[in-house]
Amino acid sequence: MIQLQKIKQSPFRITGRLKQLQDDHLSTKASLGAERAIHYTEFFKKNAKKYDSKYMKMAQALYYHLNNRSIRIYPGEIIIGTHTEHRIGAICQPELAGTVMLEDLFSFEKRSTNPLHIDKKSKSILLKKVIPYWLSKNVLAKSFSTAKGLKYSMDQLKATFYIINEAGGIAHFLPDYEKLINKGTNGIRKQINKKISEAENLTPQNRDYLKASLVSLDAVEVFADRYKKLAFTQGNLEIVEMLENVPRKPASSLKEALQQIWFFQMIIQIESLDQGISLGRIDQYLYPIYQKEIKAKVFSENDFKETFAAFCLKLSEVIPLFSKRMTKLFGGLPSGQALTIGGIGKDNKCAANELTYMILDVIEGFKTRQPNWHARISKRSCDKYVKRAIQVVAGGGGSPALYNDDVIIGALTKRKIAKPRAQNYATIGCVEPGIPGESFTSSDAAIFNLPIALEIILGEGKRISGGLFKQQSGKNKTRLKDIQTFDTLMELVEVELAHQISYLKKNLDKIEKGNADFHPTPFSSLLIKGCIESALDSTEGGALFNASGIQGIGLADLADSLAAIKTVVFDKKEHSLEEVAQACRNDFKNFSTLKAKLIKAPKFGNDDAQVDEIAARIAAMFDKIVSSYKNTRGGDWIPGAYSMTCHNAFGANMAALPSGRGQQESLADGLAPSDGSDMAGPTASLNSVTRIDHEHFPNGVNLNIKFSSNIIRGKKGSDILRGLVTGYFNNGGMQVQVNVLDKKLLEDAIVNPDKHRNMLVRISGYSAYFTDLTPQMQREVIDRTFHGC
Amino acid sequence: MTRQGISQTAPISEIQRFSLHDGPGIRTLVFLKGCLLGCEWCQNPESQEISPAIAFYKNRCKKSFECLKVCPDDAITKGNHRINYTKCTMCLKCIEVCNYQALELIGENLSAQDLLQAVLVDKHYYDSSNGGVTISGGEATLHSGFLDEFASLCQKENIDLTLETCGLFSFTKLVSTLAKFDLIYFDLKILDARLHKKATGADNKVIIENARRLCDQKFPVEFRFTLVEGFTDGKENLLNIIAFLKEVKKDVIHLQKYHNLGEAKIGIVPGAQKKLGLPAYPDDKFLAAASFFYQNQIKVLFDGEVVAFD
Repeated sequence: MIQLQKIKQSPFRITGRLKQLQDDHLSTKASLGAERAIHYTEFFKKNAKKYDSKYMKMAQALYYHLNNRSIRIYPGEIIIGTHTEHRIGAICQPELAGTVMLEDLFSFEKRSTNPLHIDKKSKSILLKKVIPYWLSKNVLAKSFSTAKGLKYSMDQLKATFYIINEAGGIAHFLPDYEKLINKGTNGIRKQINKKISEAENLTPQNRDYLKASLVSLDAVEVFADRYKKLAFTQGNLEIVEMLENVPRKPASSLKEALQQIWFFQMIIQIESLDQGISLGRIDQYLYPIYQKEIKAKVFSENDFKETFAAFCLKLSEVIPLFSKRMTKLFGGLPSGQALTIGGIGKDNKCAANELTYMILDVIEGFKTRQPNWHARISKRSCDKYVKRAIQVVAGGGGSPALYNDDVIIGALTKRKIAKPRAQNYATIGCVEPGIPGESFTSSDAAIFNLPIALEIILGEGKRISGGLFKQQSGKNKTRLKDIQTFDTLMELVEVELAHQISYLKKNLDKIEKGNADFHPTPFSSLLIKGCIESALDSTEGGALFNASGIQGIGLADLADSLAAIKTVVFDKKEHSLEEVAQACRNDFKNFSTLKAKLIKAPKFGNDDAQVDEIAARIAAMFDKIVSSYKNTRGGDWIPGAYSMTCHNAFGANMAALPSGRGQQESLADGLAPSDGSDMAGPTASLNSVTRIDHEHFPNGVNLNIKFSSNIIRGKKGSDILRGLVTGYFNNGGMQVQVNVLDKKLLEDAIVNPDKHRNMLVRISGYSAYFTDLTPQMQREVIDRTFHGC
Repeated sequence: MTRQGISQTAPISEIQRFSLHDGPGIRTLVFLKGCLLGCEWCQNPESQEISPAIAFYKNRCKKSFECLKVCPDDAITKGNHRINYTKCTMCLKCIEVCNYQALELIGENLSAQDLLQAVLVDKHYYDSSNGGVTISGGEATLHSGFLDEFASLCQKENIDLTLETCGLFSFTKLVSTLAKFDLIYFDLKILDARLHKKATGADNKVIIENARRLCDQKFPVEFRFTLVEGFTDGKENLLNIIAFLKEVKKDVIHLQKYHNLGEAKIGIVPGAQKKLGLPAYPDDKFLAAASFFYQNQIKVLFDGEVVAFD
């Protein structure tokens, strides 16, 4: 293609200090941060018995760790502090799923995808002291009786029916950073003390919890003080001065605000789990400080962008501790620190402000693994903002992902959230809408494999794949020959889905209870409205809003399979259901004609009402089943439809499906059509997607669309993309993330990974460096439908 | 013209959604079948003949010969080409039974009403991108009654409408229909009469006259010109085109490059098209031609965007 236009210089130039920080970041190898595990083990072995309450044990453990953690300030740092003892680190919470992750202890360094450095001494302590201590004492082990727990763990590791992410800790919320920067820890301390003074209304448990909250505050303060002392001995007065104010006092500048937030962002991820701790509407809550700086004539646009970029590097230092097995489920080192900009304000008008545009400049000019950038768009958004956001998306790197205010606010208000609150939503983790500072929605509680229901029906009550230990797992054993109509089949699907989800419910309840009983998180609860007010920890339902997010994945595969059965078995009557089942059992070996017929049947993603309506029915079914449950914290179960890279992992354990998808092949990603089955272009594909009512998924959906970079280029490309997104949103689409990729570049990145270390691609709800993906996922990114024309 | 209550039909060879290169915004591109020209470089050879035909895609065929079993006319051969068109009576049974989409009907007759329904599905995308529908071919003006009815229907639905034409039509017959279009892409090929006839099989007198009239009468017409090595890219032809544009007071040309993707479609349906064997038009020559227009004060658009030389 001809490129004659001058390449427009990005408005944000990376120079000097920031360039150095970026180079240092990119050249730092990731390490396993063992100190968290070692300190907690020491504490629980020696000191924990001194404390009666479960809250105080956790708070004191945190204090012990932060008081002893190795700390460093790296050259040129603008924001300081690391969440592990390493610059880029994966943390291990042994009392949660950390010990499970350590199954790779001997291969972390050598594995080809996401290698982790670990020193010999730490490895030895983990092996001899940490793992043996927690094997029987981790939350999972305590939540289940041993035998059941073992079976549960096996199912989980195989990723078959569902995966309960909450087993690794809950996390996934939007801390009230607005409160933090306006009150400081001093203000929060005052609030807790006041609550304690209302002694007559408190139970002993309430009091224990509140006392632990105070110790949690001590922990962050002691951690910050240690950094201040270190900065002082290094003569780094810039940092000393900043730490004189934060975290204790309200932030007096944007830089202080970001430092204050980073302290909490780090420690929440140390205490709870480094997944889905999200920053909320940062352009909104920082705005008053910005206005103050403008008024005092001390604001510098370049300084702000530089500080913000440095803040993003800090977020990128957090990488998850995933074993190879987990990497298949959640590839690309996601930590799900979502950051939301734009959207409408409480006045129902476009809320984009000067900071929004400056942040967009940073997204465009400074590509980092984290945060997960999310831009809210409404019909009421001003033209300039939408245009700029789309322009940044069109520039590549997959960010920001775009969220449709009009659909999301509608979906939230239907779930009994008052409109002004819903209007203030931000996103959590990958794609999940939540109410900042007020909700504890465990938005990533579990992921459920939808097409497994059909596999069980085709196996007359047993899965048709799954090795030797197949067992009766279905609700009923209806003989295939007795299924005479398509409607009967649909009814069976609903029954089976409900049955499998009821199992999920039982197990998730146990894990929720386990988290509440053995892993309260008083530090995290400091910034969730309702916890201090009700003197209840967030794991016990202290938050103002509680929920559990349950994701259904493989929707397209199930719809395509049912449509194929409808066509071949019930409409044309060319084959029996038994034959279809046999073909799937045999991975279509010796069934090539039947396979061709199944593939020829209508597929979701081609704007074909017949199959799209089946997908819509499944979505409604899933919503109905999921929404009928409540969690143990008193909140509703809410459905979502996003998959991260789980569609890959679930698919790997499944038999062939009547859609024509072969054994072990990946399932479809999020709400998207099955790979390569949408043949009529992106508008047809999106029309299919919007035939599903997205309000069935208030916990969020992900829709990935990919364009080769020669389609979405220049001003025209940006305009086209805007048209496509606007049309999709007007038609009921909730979310979309766009990858603008150059196929040749991706191929080259496989061969020469070192040349392309900073090439970002959008996975499900997050961006990852392409070179951090497993070879299989790299292929998937390349092979999936490239929309061209 | 449209008779009341009866929707006119035309053979449609393809409806291509999310088309970005044939007018503004997101568009649906509709190819009508049948053309009076026979350009040697034709990029849609399957659209030349006006009658519908069954196309055979050899690469998709798995040789299951389900088609052979159902054909009532003994028109299926096992040879290189699956259909004996002299025997075929277009019952379409073979298409129905093929499990591999190796046989396909090209040129299904759709009524203007049906076509409207087919393009309306992307209306929200036309609206959100200032896009619409582009009618291409073949040569759409061959189906003048159909075209007029469809254009009226689109007007009623507020769908932006572009026409792509080779310019060979009866002006008086088409003039009221053309007035219903928001944009007309008029294809200039070769201005020398003798060379035009040689390369396209048709005289260019009416074409050039129509171009003049459209400009004179202030129709929203824009000229397109495809560079084909050895056919249209000679210096004399470029100079003729520049002179013509100046005469009709136009200072913009949409420049296109010949690509040889059309050759893969030769032979899937019956037709007289021969392969040219030319490679895709080279970038350096394209730039040279673009710069030549530019030097002669003609702005060049490529893929909807201005090609700038500063």
